[in-house]
Amino acid sequence: MKSSEAVTVSSVQKKTKISKETRKQYIAAYIFLLPWLIGFLGLVLGPMVSSLYLSFTRFDLLNPPEWIGFANYTEMFQDTRWIASAKVTMTFVFIAVPTQLIAALLVAVLLNKKMAAVGFYRTTYYLPSLLGGSVAIAILWKNLFEIDGLVNQVLVFFNIEGQGWISHPDYALGTIIILATWQFGASMVIFLAGLKQIPKELYEAAAVDGGTKRQVFFRVTLPLLSPVIFFNLVIELIKSIQVFTSAFIISEGTGGPINSTLFYTLYLYQKGFTHFEMGYASAMAWVLVFVLGVMTLVIFFSSKYWVHYEDGGKL
Amino acid sequence: MRKVYLLFILMLFTTVVVACSSDSATDDTTEDTNSEGTTESAEETEDEEASGEEDVTLRVAWWGGQERHDRSLQVIEMYEEQNPHVTIEAEYSGFDGYFDKLNTQLAAGNAPDVIQFGGNLNDFVLRDVILPLDDYVGNELDTSLHSESMLDSATFDGNLYGVTLGTTAWGVLVNKTTLEEAGVSMPSKEWTWDDFKEITPEVTENIDGTYGTGDFSEDGFGVFLAQRDKYTYLDGEIGFGVEDVQDWFQLWKDLRDSGGAAVAEVQVSATQTPEQSLIVQGDVAMESIASNQLSAYSSATEDEFELYPYPYNSETGKNGVSLRPSQYFAAYKDTPHPEESAKFMDFFVNNVEATEILGNDRGAPVNSDVRKNLIEQASELDEKVYSYIDLVSETSDAPYIPNLPGYNENTQLFTETEQIIYYDQKSVEQASEDYFEELLSNIEKYTSEEE
Repeated sequence: MKSSEAVTVSSVQKKTKISKETRKQYIAAYIFLLPWLIGFLGLVLGPMVSSLYLSFTRFDLLNPPEWIGFANYTEMFQDTRWIASAKVTMTFVFIAVPTQLIAALLVAVLLNKKMAAVGFYRTTYYLPSLLGGSVAIAILWKNLFEIDGLVNQVLVFFNIEGQGWISHPDYALGTIIILATWQFGASMVIFLAGLKQIPKELYEAAAVDGGTKRQVFFRVTLPLLSPVIFFNLVIELIKSIQVFTSAFIISEGTGGPINSTLFYTLYLYQKGFTHFEMGYASAMAWVLVFVLGVMTLVIFFSSKYWVHYEDGGKL
Repeated sequence: MRKVYLLFILMLFTTVVVACSSDSATDDTTEDTNSEGTTESAEETEDEEASGEEDVTLRVAWWGGQERHDRSLQVIEMYEEQNPHVTIEAEYSGFDGYFDKLNTQLAAGNAPDVIQFGGNLNDFVLRDVILPLDDYVGNELDTSLHSESMLDSATFDGNLYGVTLGTTAWGVLVNKTTLEEAGVSMPSKEWTWDDFKEITPEVTENIDGTYGTGDFSEDGFGVFLAQRDKYTYLDGEIGFGVEDVQDWFQLWKDLRDSGGAAVAEVQVSATQTPEQSLIVQGDVAMESIASNQLSAYSSATEDEFELYPYPYNSETGKNGVSLRPSQYFAAYKDTPHPEESAKFMDFFVNNVEATEILGNDRGAPVNSDVRKNLIEQASELDEKVYSYIDLVSETSDAPYIPNLPGYNENTQLFTETEQIIYYDQKSVEQASEDYFEELLSNIEKYTSEEE
C-alpha cells in the first residue's frame, strides 16, 4: 500500500502538466481512500507509535508514564511466566500451523476430484472457518472437552476412561491445537483455487509417462502448488502467533491450568489490563512484532529454495 | 446444483456480514451516545455548577447477575422520578471484563461517576482515582446508622472512600440433600476441621461422581489464618509465614488423598458463576461461598442447601469468620458532580423503599434501620442469610482483613500454586516457599506505587 502511494505521489510531482481530468481522478481517488487513511493513521499507526514509546516506560494506566529505558525488555528474560508464554505460543505455532496446512491440503486434494455433492462437502469443511475465532466456538469447545463433556461420553463407549482434557496441564494446549486445526477451511479454499490452476496437460503428460499417483502428487502437484503453500504458510503463521480468543475463553482468562495455555497475547493482555503494567505489555507487543517479522523474513528468504513459480518467480 | 450452491454460500456470507455489521453498528451507536452524553453533561456542569438544581447526568457502573441488574435499574428509575433534574446512565455488566473496562475508562479519564468496587477498593484508592467522601458525610450522605466496622473497611488514611452496599461473611455451603443421600448426618454448627476430614471422604465414598468438598481456596486461607490469630496483610505488614501457607496446602492435599476433596481435574474446572459451580452441578457436596450468594446458589438447584460457619480450629477454638463488606459504591475522583453522586449513594443505601427493592442481593444492609425493616419482611431464604449474619456477628472472633494489595495478580498466583500442587509438579514445601517469595515481591511492587 505504502509503495503504491509513493509511486502516485511522485508521479504527480513529475508530470506537472497533467490534464485537469487526471487531477480530478487523483483527488477522487484520495477522497475514496480517505476513510481508510484516517483509520490507518488514527487506529493503527498512532497507537503503534505511542505503544513504542510506552514500551520504554513504566505505565500503570493512571499515573503518567515514567521513562525507564530498556528495563521492560531486559525484565522479560527473567520473567518465568513470559518464558512460559513464549514456549506455549511457539509450541502451538510449530504444531498447529503444519497440521492445519496438511489437513487443508489433503482435504483440498480430495475435494478437487469429481464426485457427487462436492459442493456440499466444500461448504461443510469451510463452515468451521466461518465460525472462526468466535467466542461461541470456544465455549462449545470447552463443553466438548470438559470432564463430563461429549468427548469423554463418546470415549466411554470404547471403554476408554476420559480425562479432564481442558483442566489437565498436559492436555489443555492440545485441545486448543485441535480447535485450530479444525478451522482449516480458509487455507483449504485457497489450496482448492491453486489446484484448479494447475494445467491439465501436466497431469496428462505425467500419465503418459506412466507416473504413479504418488509421483504425480510430489513431482507435479506440490511444486506447482508451492506458491500457494508459501502464501498460506505466511498467513497462518501470522494468525497463529497472535491466537487469543480460544485460550482466553477456554481458560477463563487465566492461561491455566498452570500456565499451560498462557499464550503470548493472553499474557500480554493480563499484564496490561489486570496487572496494570501497560509499559511491560507494550514492550511485549514489540518483541512479538520483531519475532514475527524475523520468522516471516526467514520464510521469505527460504522461499527461493522451495517455491516454484511458473513464470520464473518475479517477486 | 452449482447455482444453488453459489446462492447458498452467498446467503451465508450475507447473513454473516449483516449480522456482524449490525452488531458493531449498534455497539458503536450506544458507545457514541454514552460518550457524547458525558461530554455534554461535563460541559454543562462547568457552567452551572453553582446553582445545583440544573440538569445532571450521572453515570453509575456495577457488575452482577440479571437479578441485580433488574433491582438496581428499578431503584434508578425511582431516583429519577424523585429527582427530575437527574438523568442516570447505568453501565452494568457481568463480572468478567468489568474491571478491564473500568481500568481503560480510568486511563482515558472518562470513568463513570459512581462505581461499584469489591474488596479491591484499596487498590484503586492507592492509585488515587477515588473521591474522598468526608466533605459530603452529614450533608448529602448520611452514614450515622451505618455499622462502624463497615465504615472502617472503606476508610484509608483517615478518609472515607466508599459506601458499603452490604455485609457478607464467608461460610460453607452444605448440600443437605446429598448428605442425606450419602447417609451422613448433618454436622453440628460448631464442627471442627477433624469433623470435616471425617465427613467429606464418607460422602465421596457413598455417592458416585460426587466428592465431599471443593477446595476453599484463597478465601478459605484468610479464614484459616484468622483461626490462628494471624492475617494476610494489614497496615503495610504481612501477618503470616511460609509455614502457614504450607499447612494450608498440606491440609487440602491430605483431604484429596483421603478422597474427601475433589480431584484436581474437577477442581480446576470450577467457576465463580453460581449456576455452573461445582456444588450446583453436583460434583461436590460442600463449597465455600459468601453469604449474600446463598439465594443465587439455592435458586439454581432443587437440592436443599444449608449455610455453615467454617470448621473450627480445635486448638485455638476459633472460627475465624468475620463480617466483611461485599461491595462498595465509590465516586470517581474527577467526577463533575460529586454532590449528586453522594446523594445517589445515600439514596441507594438509606432510602427505605429503595433498599426494599435491592434486598439482600449485595449482602445484608449496613444501615441498622434498613436492616431491621428488611428482616421483618424477609423471605425464608433471606431469613437464612440474616440469621447466618447474626450468628457470625455474635460469634465472630476475628477482625475484618481487607484484600491483599495487587488483588488480581495475587489471586492468580494463589490459584496457580494450588494447581502446581494438584498436579504434583512441586512438593507442598517447595510450592509454598515459591508462593511466599513471589507474594512478597508482588506486595512490594504494588505498595511502592503508592509513593
